[in-house]
Amino acid sequence: MRVQKPPSDRALITTAVDWFTAQGWDPQKFQRACWQAYLQGKNGLLTAPTGSGKTYALLMPILLEALRMRSIAKQKRGLRAIWIAPIRALTKEIEASAQRAINDLGLDWSVAIRTGDTTASSRAKQKRNMPELLITTPESLHMLLAQKGAAELFSEMRCVVADEWHELLGSKRAVQMELALSRLRAWCPAMRTWGISATMGNMDQAMDVLLGSDPGERVLVRAAVKKVIEVSSVLPKDIRKFPWAGHIGLRSVDQVLPILQENRTTLIFTNTRSFAERWYQALLDVAPDLAGVIGLHHGSLDRATRDWVEQALHDEKLKAVICTSSLDLGVDFRPVGAIVQVGGPKNVARFAQRAGRSGHRPGALSKIHFVPTHALELLEGAALRMAIKEGRIESRIPYVRSFDVLCQYLVTLAVGDGFRQAEVRKEIATTFSFNSVSDEEWEQVLAFVTTGGPTLLAYDEFKKVEVEDGVYKVLDRGIALRHRMSIGTITSDTSIRVKFLKGGYIGTVEESFASRLDVGDVFWFGGRNLEFVSIRNMEMLVRSSKEASGKIPSWLGGRMSFSSEMSVVLREVMDRTAKGITTDPEVKKLGPLLAKQRERSHVPQANELLVERIRTKEGHHVFIYPFEGRAVHEGMSALLAYRISLLGPISFSIAMNDYGFELLSEQEIPIQDAFDSDLLSTDHLRHDIERSLNETEMARRRFRDIAQVAGLVFKGYPGKAKAVRHLQSSAQLFFSVFEDMDPNNLLLRQAHEEVMTFQLEESRLRNALERIATQKIVITDPPSITPFCFPIMVDRLRELLTSEKLEDRIARMKAQLE
Amino acid sequence: MKRAVIQIRKEKLQLLPQKAMFWPTRKTLIIADLHLGKAMHFRRAGIAVPSGIEQLNLQRLEDLIVSTRPIEVLLLGDLFHSDLNSTWQGFIDLRAKHASTKFTLVTGNHDVLEEQDYTKAKLDTLPFLDRGPFHFTHHPTEHSSLYNLAGHVHPGIRMVGKAKQTVHLPCFFFGKTAGILPAFGGFTGLYRMTRKESDRVFVTVQDRVLRV
Repeated sequence: MRVQKPPSDRALITTAVDWFTAQGWDPQKFQRACWQAYLQGKNGLLTAPTGSGKTYALLMPILLEALRMRSIAKQKRGLRAIWIAPIRALTKEIEASAQRAINDLGLDWSVAIRTGDTTASSRAKQKRNMPELLITTPESLHMLLAQKGAAELFSEMRCVVADEWHELLGSKRAVQMELALSRLRAWCPAMRTWGISATMGNMDQAMDVLLGSDPGERVLVRAAVKKVIEVSSVLPKDIRKFPWAGHIGLRSVDQVLPILQENRTTLIFTNTRSFAERWYQALLDVAPDLAGVIGLHHGSLDRATRDWVEQALHDEKLKAVICTSSLDLGVDFRPVGAIVQVGGPKNVARFAQRAGRSGHRPGALSKIHFVPTHALELLEGAALRMAIKEGRIESRIPYVRSFDVLCQYLVTLAVGDGFRQAEVRKEIATTFSFNSVSDEEWEQVLAFVTTGGPTLLAYDEFKKVEVEDGVYKVLDRGIALRHRMSIGTITSDTSIRVKFLKGGYIGTVEESFASRLDVGDVFWFGGRNLEFVSIRNMEMLVRSSKEASGKIPSWLGGRMSFSSEMSVVLREVMDRTAKGITTDPEVKKLGPLLAKQRERSHVPQANELLVERIRTKEGHHVFIYPFEGRAVHEGMSALLAYRISLLGPISFSIAMNDYGFELLSEQEIPIQDAFDSDLLSTDHLRHDIERSLNETEMARRRFRDIAQVAGLVFKGYPGKAKAVRHLQSSAQLFFSVFEDMDPNNLLLRQAHEEVMTFQLEESRLRNALERIATQKIVITDPPSITPFCFPIMVDRLRELLTSEKLEDRIARMKAQLE
Repeated sequence: MKRAVIQIRKEKLQLLPQKAMFWPTRKTLIIADLHLGKAMHFRRAGIAVPSGIEQLNLQRLEDLIVSTRPIEVLLLGDLFHSDLNSTWQGFIDLRAKHASTKFTLVTGNHDVLEEQDYTKAKLDTLPFLDRGPFHFTHHPTEHSSLYNLAGHVHPGIRMVGKAKQTVHLPCFFFGKTAGILPAFGGFTGLYRMTRKESDRVFVTVQDRVLRV
């Protein structure tokens, strides 16, 4: 028998280089680095921008390894590699890239996509004949774990690639990946893990999260591809007539038209779906000839509509697309010449990523135009330019100790072949997210899925995961079915599908919007006027209408806050503005407004903290401006209000934006005393925040997602209204019940923990308070509303904090008349 | 515990902070929407609601009966949340301790137990009940001559104060021809009512009932 020597790494890389050359490409340094590292058996993370050839940096060595394996022995069919894409839209392009190389290299590999869109029959086929390369999402990967015979399926796995890892990292989908990877590594020790990511502030940590405590060698590969981004603001013609507050920016619509004319295709990003709808409408109003050549793209529109828009973008049929973060990701649209960002993006990385969607050819300039929606937001234009120039990019904070995801994962395994607790305990200890889980916490998680937690009743009928011969399993088919339907960590509110009477889906709106409509009402959605006809089984039937309408659905979604990078640059711009040493056109334009702020109050420098006291018929207002972003202001205002309330009975309503916050009370607020007695110190910070009512309210809201992920709230079958009898409930209710009956509950504690880490950003809050301690407090008593305080004052979203007895407050309140 | 009193069609009714009503002339305790067994129903489906909520509900009911000493307990529907489960035995035991008290259930949409289960609990079930000036039902309704008292809605009201303060509270809600009781059960939500000038509304706040 003739023994053939397997090809060396060097020979394999030559194969890859030859293939690249045949395509007319030149392998880049980072691609060679990845090929080499992969073939040496290393794990790693590659940071490279979209459109730089990052896919082949990792596809290639996976295929090269297959060539090597084939030369050693005839290979069995079956799964060798999994490519994780965060969104379905990316899967097709990866499939095509892989297929092309596989064909040319003469490998007999098959490639398949498996997502929520994959039909049941294709999925069944895949189960019988797993492809060698599977392109899928984290959710679909967990669906595979929930199958019988999963271990067998994965036994020959060589590699998992997590593409767009930065997209997953700041979400619970990353935790889902960590858990799946921990199991796969246990099943196939030869498996490598790689990630591909955009640049973040915390690349090393990003790699640690992906790899956990995998003992293999690891390497971080950085592609040295730099993009030049040009940032300019659309300056209002007359700042005196420009609004002091607002967030839609429709006033600037006609100024955006020249940008559309100058470029082949423009993407207009708005911060929310309803603003995208409004901009679409407003553009058609000022330029009716745009009808038919502009498109609308957001997450609530029907998939087919979005696909059509994406295809039309490729085909250069559209002059502009108004979109939301729905187009942040996805395949590149080469014709895009310019980007417009309406309203502050709040985050430098997001802004840079959007800018990067224009000017695709290597070395091409990316152009982005920032449209401020109110006067002060002009400062953000200047701040963004500075941040981009200095290359400041945010970190993404990974979720840790997400017990909701862990509970879901355990049931997923139990629905599949079942698990032995000691094995899984060992596996999860290798993940970044759960390496600190104590034995006691583990017991609690197991109890949660097996006995439903501590029970006080003699006859308890809890049933979910059952233990047979040490194997944890789900035996009840109804429970297994419901669990499969709810795998995933992307939560959403109940939505109603909007459908034409004659058939054809348009998209989804929130139930709360639908419930406010009367028959015959006309509303604007998906870029058309629609008349509400009827609602049945979670479907709203509509017909087209000629009538114009004012109503636009709004979709829930938290308001974004300045990232830490954004707040730092904004403070620097503010400081230079106060000192009068800035040359930014945005700040120059703001001149008259800043003069008014100076006249009525003060423009603070970096070493000053501005406090404004104003009295109106609403009551006593105190405004404080730390310029730290909404998230930090949320915690700071709750802290200050709580500490003042300890001095005597008082109630506050609290509002905030990214620049500052407001305390409003019927009584005079002893703000001078508060600063004199150091009420913004960091002593007992956590203790005091946790005691402020706001924190509880925030935790309650956080709990909505947690309850859904942990399987407490079943959302029903997708698109179907088939309710499960008498099992409807709300996360709110669960929160109250847990607080009363089981205050030590892990999920409840997680809600509080998430508030501290992600919402109040405790570490940022602490730094901010330390910074304030060094600042000079400047208290002013403006005779009337100032440009700084106005946007906060008119904000209707408010928090409440009180130390008065509820009944005393009620006595002064009125039940609302409507 | 401070109760409030309302006069309807010349009858005085006491509104209790425990989210129940007492009718002194007939010594009748009136309660709506207990939703007993709800937590257990969820637990059977693999949803880990703390089980203590069931005991707490039963204990609250027991305390209320002991403190008001009624001749009759009138339940305005949704006594039991869904299909039979072990919490029903808890109710049977409680009921047996008060053998001399009459228990009547005006059935609601959730009351789907078998006839024999109600019999076992020595519970009379009726679709509605007319007594004195009142027409008792589960769903709020109109009656040509009698004043309707009902449950089903789980009424709550939004209170608005100065300085943009708001708070939601469970309430008793009395219109011109019908009144609605708050839900008694601990694992139930609130439906936000809108009131007219003529409506009389009482909120329950900790251990008091306040007219608002």
